[in-house]
Amino acid sequence: MALRELLLKDADTRDLTQLAEYEAVGGYRSLRKALGMERQAVLEELLAADVRGRGGAGFPMGRKASFLPKPEDSAKPIYLVVNADESEPGTFKDREIMLRVPHLFIEGVFIAAHTIGSSQAFIYLRGEYLTEYEVIVAALEEAREAGYVGKDVLGSGWDLTVVVHRGAGAYICGEETGLLESLEGNRGQPRTKPPFPAVSGLYASPTLINNVETLATVPKIVEMGGAAYAALGVENSAGTRVFSLSGNVANGGNYELELGTSLRELIYDLGGGIPGGRELKAVIPGGSSVPVLTAAEVDTPLDFDSMAQAGTMLGSGAVIVIDDRCCMVQLGLRVAQFYMHESCGKCTPCREGTRWMVQLLRKIEDGEATQGELDVLLNVCDRILGHCLCPLGDAAAMPVASYVAKFRDEYQRHIDEGGCPFGGESSLQGVLAPVDQHHAHVRAEIEVPVGP
Amino acid sequence: MSALYDRIQELAAEYPESRSAVMPALRLAQEEHGGWLPPEAFREVGEALELTPAYCKAVASFYDMFQLEPVGRHMVEVCTNVSCALVGAQQVLEAFERELGVHAGETTEDGEVTLRTVECAGGCGWGTVVAVDHRYREPVRPEDVPAIVRGLHDGA
Amino acid sequence: MSAQREAELVTVTIDGQEIQAPKGRGMVETAAALGIEIPVFCYEPRLGPPVGACRMCLCEVEGLPKLQAACTLTATDGLVLRTAATSEKASDGQNAILEFILLNHPLDCPDCDKGGECPLQDLTFRFGPGSTRMHFPKRTFDKPIPISPLIALDRERCILCYRCTRFSENVSEDGQLVAVNRGASSMIATFEDEPYRAHFSGNVVELCPVGALTSTTYRFRARPWEIQNVPTVCGLCPVGCNVWATTREGKVARVLSRNHPEIHEGWLCDKGRFAYDHLRAPDRIRAPLVRVRRRGFEEVSHEEALAAAETGLREAGSDVVVAFSGGETGEQARALARLVREGLGSDAALLPDDWEPGLAAFRAPLSAIREADVCLVLGDDPVLERAPVVDLWLRAARREGAAVVAANAAGDIQVAPGSAPQVCAALRSGADVPPELKETAERVRGAARVALIWSEDDPTGGRHVGALASDLAETAGAQVAVYALPRTPNGRGVAEAWRALGEGRSDPPAEGEIGALIVSGDEAAADPRVAELAGRARFVLTTAMFQNDVTAWSHVVLPGTSYLEREGTFVNLEGRPQRLRRAVVPAGPDELEWVARLAERFGVAVDPWAAPSAAEQAELPPGDEFAWTQPDPQAATGRAAGPGLELVRVRALFSGAAVERVPQLQFQRPPGEVELAWEDAATREIAQGETVRVTSNGTTKELRARLNRRLRAGVVRVAAEHAVGLDDRVQVEKAG
Ligand SMILES: Cc1cc2nc3c(=O)[nH]c(=O)nc-3n(C[C@H](O)[C@H](O)[C@H](O)COP(=O)(O)O)c2cc1C
Ligand code: SF4
Ligand code: FES
Repeated sequence: MALRELLLKDADTRDLTQLAEYEAVGGYRSLRKALGMERQAVLEELLAADVRGRGGAGFPMGRKASFLPKPEDSAKPIYLVVNADESEPGTFKDREIMLRVPHLFIEGVFIAAHTIGSSQAFIYLRGEYLTEYEVIVAALEEAREAGYVGKDVLGSGWDLTVVVHRGAGAYICGEETGLLESLEGNRGQPRTKPPFPAVSGLYASPTLINNVETLATVPKIVEMGGAAYAALGVENSAGTRVFSLSGNVANGGNYELELGTSLRELIYDLGGGIPGGRELKAVIPGGSSVPVLTAAEVDTPLDFDSMAQAGTMLGSGAVIVIDDRCCMVQLGLRVAQFYMHESCGKCTPCREGTRWMVQLLRKIEDGEATQGELDVLLNVCDRILGHCLCPLGDAAAMPVASYVAKFRDEYQRHIDEGGCPFGGESSLQGVLAPVDQHHAHVRAEIEVPVGP
Repeated sequence: MSALYDRIQELAAEYPESRSAVMPALRLAQEEHGGWLPPEAFREVGEALELTPAYCKAVASFYDMFQLEPVGRHMVEVCTNVSCALVGAQQVLEAFERELGVHAGETTEDGEVTLRTVECAGGCGWGTVVAVDHRYREPVRPEDVPAIVRGLHDGA
Repeated sequence: MSAQREAELVTVTIDGQEIQAPKGRGMVETAAALGIEIPVFCYEPRLGPPVGACRMCLCEVEGLPKLQAACTLTATDGLVLRTAATSEKASDGQNAILEFILLNHPLDCPDCDKGGECPLQDLTFRFGPGSTRMHFPKRTFDKPIPISPLIALDRERCILCYRCTRFSENVSEDGQLVAVNRGASSMIATFEDEPYRAHFSGNVVELCPVGALTSTTYRFRARPWEIQNVPTVCGLCPVGCNVWATTREGKVARVLSRNHPEIHEGWLCDKGRFAYDHLRAPDRIRAPLVRVRRRGFEEVSHEEALAAAETGLREAGSDVVVAFSGGETGEQARALARLVREGLGSDAALLPDDWEPGLAAFRAPLSAIREADVCLVLGDDPVLERAPVVDLWLRAARREGAAVVAANAAGDIQVAPGSAPQVCAALRSGADVPPELKETAERVRGAARVALIWSEDDPTGGRHVGALASDLAETAGAQVAVYALPRTPNGRGVAEAWRALGEGRSDPPAEGEIGALIVSGDEAAADPRVAELAGRARFVLTTAMFQNDVTAWSHVVLPGTSYLEREGTFVNLEGRPQRLRRAVVPAGPDELEWVARLAERFGVAVDPWAAPSAAEQAELPPGDEFAWTQPDPQAATGRAAGPGLELVRVRALFSGAAVERVPQLQFQRPPGEVELAWEDAATREIAQGETVRVTSNGTTKELRARLNRRLRAGVVRVAAEHAVGLDDRVQVEKAG
């Protein structure tokens, strides 16, 4: 298996940001087709396609849509909310989709909205994505002029308005309930579930939330039929995914692959391997929130079940390649700093635990930690795990615990040798994380002890 | 009354509930106030959306892109998350610090440029990602920095 | 009015014990019913739906892999829950959370006000780790800062349970106390260090489960083991919130709420909570005073004072007028009424509130407001200022989905001042509905449950709203509750006491000399009408707590007491008689005793002891049947027409003798502002915050402009204390 372009098809040869070009390759035919079908029939195709969410959790899209009440049974309006907040470290595939095939994406939004009987959709777009915002707004405008969205879409009698809502820099707003809070104009702190968004989401109304890539598959599924789509990929992992490849690899970028392709193919055959004659040390296969794989595990196939078997997750499809210059304590520290910075502050274990993790990791890296404190670190991870309001705490604890588990001797050497065995030569040496810089928001100084 | 007030009403009209417009309204106010949100801005947004200034500030302070203290006319943001850091983000950052003469988190004395590090910008495959006035430059290597800084001063 | 919802019973199992519980009841409460305690910090059902933030309540639920926050769970059939008592996993989880909470919490319990009554201290004592594994510096913040003159915030102690901010956002909806920043740098704050200035701010002190929010009036005053709590009722407004008066060494050290779920759900306004220090005001009158020369007073013995009072009254014969405050207990009012009516033979009285007894037909607990489909608020006085807790109930009703419509000059429907009676008439069946009331009329007439709130001084005692209520009940088949808000705390009880001696009351003579005037209490003494009468009276007998201008025109002054020093009965705005208890003993006799002794000299025997019957948590007497005589004959009180803008005076909650004597409450008093409609400001080129001159025949006030987009054009509002001397119509112009 190799590159299998479905979503990004034709994007190399044509400017698919232009409506005419997109229509020339069959664009918006799926919307017409879906409008001519019963809503339930479209839903059946999505169920048959067995497409799992591309945002991170991997929940089957068709099933999630089927939890929503039928529009005729709902006293409240039904909303479609698009998660375009892409912020999982290592992930930049939604951005590629929005920049290069914006019409495919919004066509997916239109079809999904129609399928669930929604007349209002919101695209929650990561605030930093400025060019992407302009591209999406332009595409929506073209689509509106062509009658694909707005009042009485293609004469079907169905109205749809789409609002692009820009975020403002908070990772937690990618978590679906944090996103809803933010979209309602609150601080983006997650809500307890249940109730799930399908029952009570945006403005306490039934809401379907899907990732950009998930929605971009919808026109393809409608076009090919669910069964044909399901034939792509492997069992429990149907279809293609756009993988974001980054880190110590020759050709970083996005690669659309059939699920089940091995990590090795992606890193070596497509990504050109590790540059500078270095050795592969570790791979983070699904964004920084997932446990790490060692070089020995590089043959693991990129699908949900294989990753689970290897003790990790496919997550957002962000593959971060790490070569042998990287100190795994520094990696742990940098990852923990990210989660500390992004913890929303609502629940105790995440807010307090991520900060404590950073303190402990800093001490270990500085060579000042005792043996006991390494155990405390693992125990802190353990005490965060499964105790938080949303998965962010787990997303900090799981990877760090995996670094210690898989590179225990490196951690041990920091303690035994009273310092970093890389002697200042690690690729992550001295990286300044936003939590450590004087930050306008942080009026009360956070005391993170610095080195001697 | 004021133009900002009216523009915020337009934003609010896009949503079923006007409170949803608080983020876009804060963004507008930030643009009007030279890139940051002075206390006055929270009063204006609050008045337009029938929210308290305290509420507006509570919201703004949750997000990294709202500035609660004055910033330079230009903003340089260097991603130092894992993927960029693995390929030398720290060296890029230091190049900016040298070239601008400030530390990350600070603004140049002439009030022209604010330099800061940010978490993953979403361009990891093309690291190091640097956003200059919110437009991404990817990849940036330390040797590209002097030209970028010069461009800031010239393009001013 | 209370809709009895049949609650389905379900079976749940907690720590192996089965229990039948109403479906949907919170699991914390369900466990408590079995005697099982689930520790909580953030959970507080009065603050809205559970948020599951602190995670202290983690429990194991059969069938779920992860521990669940029990506070977010409700009883569903077959739910099997295991708490830390029987589940090792839950116990590990709880220990983890407690360790995280304590991580940055200072261990300064010995000099923390919360010490001894602190949930965190208690839980740490019971479940907490013996030692800490945290060897890093704790998070530090600036030392305790005042977030208002009433409340201090010690951020280091804050465990970020968000109770206080949820109160501010979801209950009082003042939006002033908020969380700022994110993650580990989150903290509680007000805007730009401005004071937390809101009517209910003090509740956050009671909500805070640690010593992060403390009251400046109680800080370091007492330790929990040196105090006594006396259950009584707040006597500062007609709501009658139930309170504990905490006393130490015979002095009131603080006031805490005592939750009466039908009246106030445990919330108190800041006046009720913080005004108690007026008891110790330096200008308090402690001994009887008799005027000796033209201007001077002399302290005299009780006997001499009574003799002087008797002489003055005897000389007046039956030419006596009595002015009530509305702060008297029922017993006291009755004694005074008997003295005047039976002993002196006069029925001339100024009652602060009148009361139409027929309104009892629409009696309902305040909590029924929350269950209404439509709440209609009528009258020019802001509910928040007149009976603050009613405002909380209205907000709760709106959150529950009710349509809450206020018809007044700054309401949802901006009607002219003084037109509430016309609004009532227009909503009655068959009436000609003006266009601006069409939608409201449809709503009100189409609703199953309607709450009518009447909020202004009303010489008819609420007959207009009563007529509307009976019309709705009869012609629209609605369940109607009426809440006519008296002006004074026990104005209703005083009116009932007067009436209990038989119908009959005459107004004081409009002009000419008066034989004697009896002024009962400081509030009556502050009434301009009373001052005018005093000028015509040959003899003035006053009871008052405080020395001030008004006592200067009295001939005999008897020392008054506060509601915290008296036994007796108060009838609140619902019509609920409640018992006041003496929390601290006054220096001398109280008013009831004075009046009884005086009455005796006029041949009226009054039992000097109050005979309170009401229980600790008083019940509301059932509503009476009553046939309203329709239509209401009273024509609306027209207001002066003419040039200029129409002035509406707002009687602020934070005003009056008690508030004026508590230094920490001064910031809550109304600022010198004039509220202006947007259009009126625009035509006069007045901007927000500018100083303007408000003038009417000879009197000019310089006030700051507050522009209100919701205020009816042609109307201005000024707090009564800043409007002294102004007429009903004023000129407004930019100053300078
Ligand atoms: C901390 C956190 C961050 C997340 N960030 C994102 C994100 O940036 N984009 C995204 O699509 N999903 C993100 N998710 C997953 C969403 O909660 C949600 O599962 C997803 O949007 C559902 O869409 P899907 O079913 O199409 O994947 C995040 C989840 C968590 C817990
Ligand atoms: S101040 Fe008290 S009530 Fe408010 S969040 Fe902190 S601990 Fe909770
Ligand atoms: S009490 Fe349940 S999470 Fe706080």
